[in-house]
Amino acid sequence: MNISLNLFRIAGLAALTVAASPIAFGQGAEPNILLNPPPDTWPSYHGDYSGRRHTPLTQITPQNAGQLGLAWVFQTGQTLQLKSTPVVMNGVMYFSVPNNVWAVDVRSGHQIWHYTYPPNKGSRIGNRGVSMWKDWLYFMSPDGHLVCLNANDGTMKWNVEVADYQKGYWTSMSPLIVGNHVLVGVSGDFDNLQGFLRSVDPETGKKQWEWDSTPPPGTPNATTGGMTWMTGTYDPKLNLIYWGTGNPTPVLEGKTRPGPDHYTCSIVALNPDNGKLAWAFQPSPHDTHDWDAVETPVLVDGDFHGHPHKMLMQTSRNGYFFVLDRTNGKSLLTVPFGPVNWAGGIDENGEPIPNPEKEPAPDGRLIAPDEGGLTNYRSPSFDQKTGLFIVSAHPSYAIYFAKPADGTFGWAGADYGVWGKGVLEAIDYQTGKLRWTHQLGPGGSSAGVLTTDSGVTFTGDAFGNFLALRTSDGKTLWHAGTGGHMDTSPISFELDGRQYVVSGSGTAMFAWALPRAETEQTVAAGTQSAE
Amino acid sequence: MIPKSAYVFSLIVLFACFAFPQSSKPTPQNFSAALIQSGQTLFQQDCAFCHGRDAGGGETGPDLTRSKLVSEDVKGEKIGAVVRNGRPDAGMPRFSLTDDQIAGLVAFIHNQKTIAESQKGGRRGVDVADLQTGNVEAGKTYFNGAGKCSTCHSPLGDLAGVASRYQGLKLEERMLYPRNAKSKLTVTLPSGQTVTGELAYQDEFTVALRDQDGRYRSWPASSVKFTVNAPAEAHAELLSKYTDEDVHNLMAYIQTLR
Repeated sequence: MNISLNLFRIAGLAALTVAASPIAFGQGAEPNILLNPPPDTWPSYHGDYSGRRHTPLTQITPQNAGQLGLAWVFQTGQTLQLKSTPVVMNGVMYFSVPNNVWAVDVRSGHQIWHYTYPPNKGSRIGNRGVSMWKDWLYFMSPDGHLVCLNANDGTMKWNVEVADYQKGYWTSMSPLIVGNHVLVGVSGDFDNLQGFLRSVDPETGKKQWEWDSTPPPGTPNATTGGMTWMTGTYDPKLNLIYWGTGNPTPVLEGKTRPGPDHYTCSIVALNPDNGKLAWAFQPSPHDTHDWDAVETPVLVDGDFHGHPHKMLMQTSRNGYFFVLDRTNGKSLLTVPFGPVNWAGGIDENGEPIPNPEKEPAPDGRLIAPDEGGLTNYRSPSFDQKTGLFIVSAHPSYAIYFAKPADGTFGWAGADYGVWGKGVLEAIDYQTGKLRWTHQLGPGGSSAGVLTTDSGVTFTGDAFGNFLALRTSDGKTLWHAGTGGHMDTSPISFELDGRQYVVSGSGTAMFAWALPRAETEQTVAAGTQSAE
Repeated sequence: MIPKSAYVFSLIVLFACFAFPQSSKPTPQNFSAALIQSGQTLFQQDCAFCHGRDAGGGETGPDLTRSKLVSEDVKGEKIGAVVRNGRPDAGMPRFSLTDDQIAGLVAFIHNQKTIAESQKGGRRGVDVADLQTGNVEAGKTYFNGAGKCSTCHSPLGDLAGVASRYQGLKLEERMLYPRNAKSKLTVTLPSGQTVTGELAYQDEFTVALRDQDGRYRSWPASSVKFTVNAPAEAHAELLSKYTDEDVHNLMAYIQTLR
């Protein structure tokens, strides 16, 4: 008998069992799943709480990656680019663009439902994805609302305002779910606004607590800004969430906000149950170049120079790679990972010291990196076996201007990118040295990175090619042109014995896998050993 | 004020395109308040992040009120094409919008340009006057010395009149890195034959050129030998060496090459 058919029957039997005992099976993103994601899921933005974007799956290897092919493509039919990371649970994938959420069958790529948010006037710059708690999805709208949807059919349970879009806020991030907290952040750079992170009750949408990154607008000599527009990470043992905050406002003009501008451009550790600040570290004190420090705070346990450490690593938009002790925020390593010319040195806390001569000026200052930064929201990945922190970097230069006529509200200056390119960098986390680099093309790439336990690294180049590289040396194993610009970070999961890698590009979602015959051999081998 | 050259250039375009010699200024562009309003709403949603809420520039996107393309645009013929096709090389995505939506965006952008130009006193953004802090002699010395600009360029040759063709920020941007500079690709086929032309595409897997007949030809990068001659890369290499003073001095010198 055909083994796959046999398996299909077994699966059918399992499905009947599921129907008979709904509590044991068919569950949504329960807390234990978010803590220990099973291989057939990608239950949250980063895949797990660590932010490492590393999958334990090993079906796709450096040896067979050359045989990767298309499993399916899902066309959104929308004009807006995909910037979301899908969530995968129970064989269903959920993803979004502004004002739209889809549920898609992972086996076939066909649509199960499509939710559209009512027309509104909020910024549609992007949506990073939905989040899941039990059988509920959480989606943030351009006009600053948090919406709770039923994952089964996409119907709305509730809709609450998080921030007033008429003041200049919008929302785009994928909420972080910790216990019974839905943690939501906000965006807004065109106005001098207060930044905050809010915890919301997943059942009711009611506010549980709020942590303000900056004081209210109008506070003398104080900054505004510090937006919280990227999903943080979580250490369950320390019971701390780690969150990056955005740039201060006014953005390019710092005179009205003297000093370091706490807590903008910072990495903060908060208690998820009450929002109390445990510690803060500031990658860019007194930023005047729009270098949000929101890039993933990646959590790694391991050796650092001979001693075990609970670490936090960030390749920050300002061009520095930071390794911190995440129990207390103390610096272990601060080193640039590309051209950086704005700092005069590193202080005793490991924070760069901004050079006042490199603040935007009426006749312009040549700055590295550019405003988009040496990296940005695209996810990096950490591979424990090789000790490599792999990031899609953007060596770049820009000219920054500011003059009195630009005022002290919102942008308050002008900056122009001069030159840039994309380079995938494999950073040795103990030294910050680059073990290998892989050129991604002129301009740069906005695709994130995924590593696998079998030693494969997935990312995209500046031309829309989706790439599989060997993690040990960065050599190309396979590629496929996607015909779009990749603004997403890849994910992976295994279903029916087949490992999928999913990457959004342009307005389409692509699922890649090895040919059926290849995966069936794997399944057959697995079945035999199980028997 | 519109930069004078842009104004003159737009006149040339109008004369050339429409052959209305009696016309002494660009076609008046009047838009209804309702159209401007509809464009403003869409602009805030899809354009403001990069180009600023007032179209005066924001994250990564240029100031549209000072844009040469906008100054040359008549009722959306140029703006519409950019919106629909995007500018992938500059990071701008394409937008599938209806004709009515494009018309609204065009109305809003032109209206913002009018508002910006009517401002009294110092304008936001970068004026030609802002870029006059350098020293001409020091710039000339840098050009012929440390900058090694004279290795490829000559004030009496390729750069003659460059400051008449470009001014202010545009000139400085081109000086630092000429974005659309052409590169040359030479491909050696397995037969030993060589093909040379303007580099048309190059990623890790494919190289392509346009030959002297204007024909596009591509090859798998792994199956041919090829060399790329990209003279503009010398500009990128210089970026890490400049001081801000070098940039301002060089700009002062280049601005004398009218």
